[in-house]
Amino acid sequence: MIGSPDVVAFTKEDEYGQTTPDPWASIPEEFSVPLHPLADSNPWAKTSYAKFTKDFILISEFSEQVGPQPLLTIPDDPKVCGTFDLNYFSLRIMSVDYQASFVGHPPGSGYPRLSFVEDSRVVLGDSKEGAFAYVHHLTLYDLEARGFVRPFCMAYVSADERKIMLQFEELSLRFSQASECLKAGNRRAFAKELQRKLQDLEYTHSVLQKEEGLQREAGPQSMYSAHAVEKANELANVEKSIYEHRDLLKQITSYHHRPRRDPHAVTCQKCMSECLSECEELLDKYAKLAGPYSYTGKVEEEGQIEDEAGEDELEEEEEEGIKRRPSYTPQLIKAKSAKCFDKRLKTLQELCDETFYEASVELLKETERSFRGDLCYLHTRHLDRVLRRKQRVTNFLFEEEIGDEDEDEVGTIRPFCAVNHTVDNCTLLNPPPIVLGPEPPEESTDPLDPASETSQTLESELGLVDSRLESSPSDLTLETQESSEETKGSFSSGKSGIKQNLAGMKSEAPDPDSDLTPDPDMERESSSDDMETTAGEDEGENGGDQTPVSLLEVVSELESSRADEGEGVTEEVCDIESDLLVPIDTACCMAQEGFLYEASAPEAAPHLGQSSHMQSSQVLVVNQEPQALLPVQDDYTVGSPCSESPAAGLELPVGPLADAVSRASVEDGSDCTMSASTGSDRAASPLGYGGVVTLRQRKKAGQGALRFVRQYPFAMQALWCLLSGRTLVVLGADEGRVRRLVSALALFVPGPGKCGERVQAWLCCPFSLTDLQRWKLIGLQRVASPVGSSMLYSLSRYSRYISILDTDQKTLRCPPYRGQLLANIADHRTYIRRGSTYFLHIQSTLCRLAAKAFLFTFTHHLHLPVSSTEGPEIVDGRRRCFLQEQLGLGEEDSQILLYLSQLITQQYLQPPTGSSAAAPCFAFNYTTSVLYKI
Amino acid sequence: MSSGCPPQSPAVAKLEVAIEGECPLLAATFAYWDNILGPRVRHIWAPKGDQVMFLSDGEVTFLANHTLNGEILRSAECGAVDVKFFVLAEKGVIIVSLIFDGELKGDKNTCALSIILPQTELAFYLPLHTICVERLKHVIRKGRIWMQKGYNIISVLSLEIIPIMELLASMKTHSVPEDIDIKDTVLNDDDIGDSCHEDFLHKAISSHLQTCGCSIVVGSNPEKVNKIVRTLCLFLTPTERKCSRLCKADSSFKYDTGLFVQGLLKDSTGSFVLPFRQVLYSPYPTTHIDVDINTVKQMPPCHEHTYNQRRYMRSELSALWRTDSEEDIPPDTVIHTDETFTPDLNIFQDVMHKDTLVKSFIDEVFMLKPGLSLRSTYLAQFLLLLHRKALTLLKYIEDETQKGKKPFRSLRNLKSDLDLTVEGDLNIVMSFAEKLRAGLHSFVFGKPFYTSMQERDVLMSF
Repeated sequence: MIGSPDVVAFTKEDEYGQTTPDPWASIPEEFSVPLHPLADSNPWAKTSYAKFTKDFILISEFSEQVGPQPLLTIPDDPKVCGTFDLNYFSLRIMSVDYQASFVGHPPGSGYPRLSFVEDSRVVLGDSKEGAFAYVHHLTLYDLEARGFVRPFCMAYVSADERKIMLQFEELSLRFSQASECLKAGNRRAFAKELQRKLQDLEYTHSVLQKEEGLQREAGPQSMYSAHAVEKANELANVEKSIYEHRDLLKQITSYHHRPRRDPHAVTCQKCMSECLSECEELLDKYAKLAGPYSYTGKVEEEGQIEDEAGEDELEEEEEEGIKRRPSYTPQLIKAKSAKCFDKRLKTLQELCDETFYEASVELLKETERSFRGDLCYLHTRHLDRVLRRKQRVTNFLFEEEIGDEDEDEVGTIRPFCAVNHTVDNCTLLNPPPIVLGPEPPEESTDPLDPASETSQTLESELGLVDSRLESSPSDLTLETQESSEETKGSFSSGKSGIKQNLAGMKSEAPDPDSDLTPDPDMERESSSDDMETTAGEDEGENGGDQTPVSLLEVVSELESSRADEGEGVTEEVCDIESDLLVPIDTACCMAQEGFLYEASAPEAAPHLGQSSHMQSSQVLVVNQEPQALLPVQDDYTVGSPCSESPAAGLELPVGPLADAVSRASVEDGSDCTMSASTGSDRAASPLGYGGVVTLRQRKKAGQGALRFVRQYPFAMQALWCLLSGRTLVVLGADEGRVRRLVSALALFVPGPGKCGERVQAWLCCPFSLTDLQRWKLIGLQRVASPVGSSMLYSLSRYSRYISILDTDQKTLRCPPYRGQLLANIADHRTYIRRGSTYFLHIQSTLCRLAAKAFLFTFTHHLHLPVSSTEGPEIVDGRRRCFLQEQLGLGEEDSQILLYLSQLITQQYLQPPTGSSAAAPCFAFNYTTSVLYKI
Repeated sequence: MSSGCPPQSPAVAKLEVAIEGECPLLAATFAYWDNILGPRVRHIWAPKGDQVMFLSDGEVTFLANHTLNGEILRSAECGAVDVKFFVLAEKGVIIVSLIFDGELKGDKNTCALSIILPQTELAFYLPLHTICVERLKHVIRKGRIWMQKGYNIISVLSLEIIPIMELLASMKTHSVPEDIDIKDTVLNDDDIGDSCHEDFLHKAISSHLQTCGCSIVVGSNPEKVNKIVRTLCLFLTPTERKCSRLCKADSSFKYDTGLFVQGLLKDSTGSFVLPFRQVLYSPYPTTHIDVDINTVKQMPPCHEHTYNQRRYMRSELSALWRTDSEEDIPPDTVIHTDETFTPDLNIFQDVMHKDTLVKSFIDEVFMLKPGLSLRSTYLAQFLLLLHRKALTLLKYIEDETQKGKKPFRSLRNLKSDLDLTVEGDLNIVMSFAEKLRAGLHSFVFGKPFYTSMQERDVLMSF
């Protein structure tokens, strides 16, 4: 049954010689459907016949002189378009008669009318070329163009038609924003052009009038020479032209008052109102002039028209308070035609105000970046975010932060302005605050804040958000950032004291290169990893990764989100918390908490109004834990056991494995001041952590994790240590190797914190017991010196609490693991080839673990006594039974779930105010450690 | 709007279609590019009755002509159907146009079949776009044959235009909401088995996921049917839910090709007749769930379904090609006219493959207390796991085959590496991956299947 060439090829490949005649051979192939289309033999090949390599944005114009022509592409790289014929495609997309609305002089109308047309959106394609496009048509105004209009279009060109249709709404939204931005700039430019033109006309009128007057005086009273008649006509034409242009100015001013027919248009109120006021000002100015004779008096008085008129005009304008920085000298024009002064068509840049043009291009660049990559990755990432938003209670365990942009996706179309966005970016080049969530409590105590916040809200509502350097909530975050850096600085120079730090905070410019510079080793690793990822993946990673890659982006996103939301972050966090707290019944957690932290039960409930207490604790922490930079930024509560209720942070759990678990306290072999001296200045930098850990960084780490799993047969034991809450120390002399390994293993640290606070990538000095409570993964330098011996001493001292992975000796010392739960992610014989694929696999497995832990945590009957006669032992037995029989977990696997469950419980009952890093309970058991070797 | 309209063609025929309920479609048009006169409208279909927005015939004609503008440059391959999608804010309409070539009066012409909706319906229409386009594309294939024979294409096009009007009208009133309250589903029951038998629920959800989320739920009790429809829709994406339909309480809708989940009510005799052709034309295989007798049946997996579908399409087009008279339009009767093609009518089979993913989810989710958001959260975690597993699988195959350049030969490794050794689990994850990358099933499983089909055909030819 051979019906298509595909099948013939297929049978040939199989050496399957005998085929039956096709019963439908009579129907020509063009009227039938292929039995084996190309997608069957290669699902990735359907877009391969396009002549361009990546999606791009094309801006084209329907020029009245040369017809459709491409103006620019984003990205502006000829390689992207390849051999694709942009001229032909521009012709194709611009030949759609999208508006068919009348422009120019309508019949019976005295003056030319501006046509206010709404944008049109078209999706079309060229199946032969394999090119499809979302095309956004817009019209700009140009005084010198035919009908005063210049048709443009912006097209998102892709080889995947489905990608465009599935993301039509988002594309439409983004291009509408860019279009509105261009149009706002164009209206300003058009109004300015009209103003200049009116000046020219008025000046010309005055000159002509004077000439006519002289002629009239010179000639006989009742006789008019041909020259005089010509002058009179010219004068009349100029007068007519003045009225026409005044009318145009009136029309452009009325733009804002017309009802919008496009429900999907995205307008910025600020741009609208600014432009409106500017136009109205101009309109007022020219309406004040009684007639087109205003120049007469001045000209007569001054006598020297051409030389001095400009100055007078300038003076006059200054008097009227109109801001026109480059002064304009009116020119004498021939009043034959109002439109034929200069036929060189303006460029798009000239048509729009420079700021608006730049902002639009930036917006389009961002659009191109965000839509880059394969549809299936974009689609899954979107679904991923939607689903993660529904499980905030466990996201902190293994998921990256859901950024503000994700909230945007949920929201409907909001007023947006690319210009303001850009202004924000420009003005906030100060070191960007790391966004860690809710505002620190100082914000509410700052006397300046209420007012600023109110004004901020108002500004946001009006879109007036471009000058918020003063008193915006971001400043506080920024200050916090500074304070932490300053604090660090003061420690390194041997100075301390909060007052000094606070003073320095406000006066000194923060260092933008502080901890945020990526580690060179990491960069090298990244580049090598890049080579290994597939093209599609790369595309997805590069552009698609919505997580801010630089802190600048973090700021801009924060700023824009704040500007849009108006109400600031605090409220949002409250909402999140209330979302988290209201719907889920706390009974099981409370009960579990009761079991786990018997001593701390009364204090376990969240105290939202303890700002003063927090502040005092922050002071303590800042003084004592210089290397814990990120917890400091994080409102100083997380990871600071001294500051918290000791029971919550340091009381050891009396959990299901209570017999094996002992209690410890802060005093037990540890002190806070000691750890203060252990600080490493690079504490926050090595993993690229220190900022929000991005998906891209995590994917890179996936490569390291795969290498680790392949290289070390005992990788499973190491992963088990991390997942069950036992601190893993990675010991080694080579800093680069240790850092790489730590960054790879950090993927498996439950609740690592938004910025990896639970991970210390490189430590050059001995650590204390408190450090073990705070850090679950430590990279430790092996040195042959007195310091080295004290480090080894600390290692041996705490060896019963920790696992030690020696990268030099290739050994691991930890309790044995005999479970099955991790067999699938730590199999050194795995056939997974790439780090990015392995990362996806880890994500799935960890997601499943988190789900099981959630189930265990919130299954009520496991944690609550059925009757009053039931004691904790029975409930504990029920939990064991559940883990073993229902979930089929052995002893060691159960420990993983118990630890994750503890973290969830803690996170749930004590929602952190600034960080996702829950301070885990410090637990250990007396199982003998085993030394594993390769 | 009429100010800019060209003079209306006197030859435009119009068919007013009586549609039950509010039809969001303003009109459908068939236009062609006349080599002398330019774009001309040949036929208009419009729903009868009051509509939110009214377009005069002149306006419809103007818009229809509009869709052909620029198509003089068309350089598509013969037989290609290109889709154009307009959102014309100035006119307040959206237009979907399918551009194709066809023979009219002995000349090769560029033609456009368009549907026009108000712009306010954009969000409603977009999820349904693929369904409408795929259905219209196939009727265009048939129409092109009809044009080639010199017959009137309008009668063929009407075969799909009217059902699409009915589909859109039914979706307006009975589509599943984007956000489903878990309280309206079986997952809110106090205990597993309260609403339906535990094994039935497991089998239904498992099969539903194995068939890419495409299911029909039939029964006599509309409430019961709709509860299962909503339950199944919980496992779909928001967009897919918008392509799903609840059943009508008083009478049944017709089966509609392309919807993900649809509830259908049995008639008074306790039966529901499924149209073989429409079910086969669904983009994915379908699960058939009868809530009266608690049975779950499923169609063969994607690669087999697609193969069967294409064979049937070819058979249908071939039968049309051989038709000698314009009166013999065989909409659903191709099967009887073509002796050379005997499709397997027994397309719904028992669910063969058990899984562990859904089984453990169903067992566990009922342990969580109902009425809170616990179960929704657990469901979200389950779905997240499935989506991630699908992406991992896709990436794994992509790595192994260098993006399809090499054949995939390591299914066994994939199963063990990704913990998909249970056949049902693999089917579920493959189905999710198929939706991300169409043709994946055919790529992975197609070759042995096609070979066996060829062998079968050879044997049958003796």
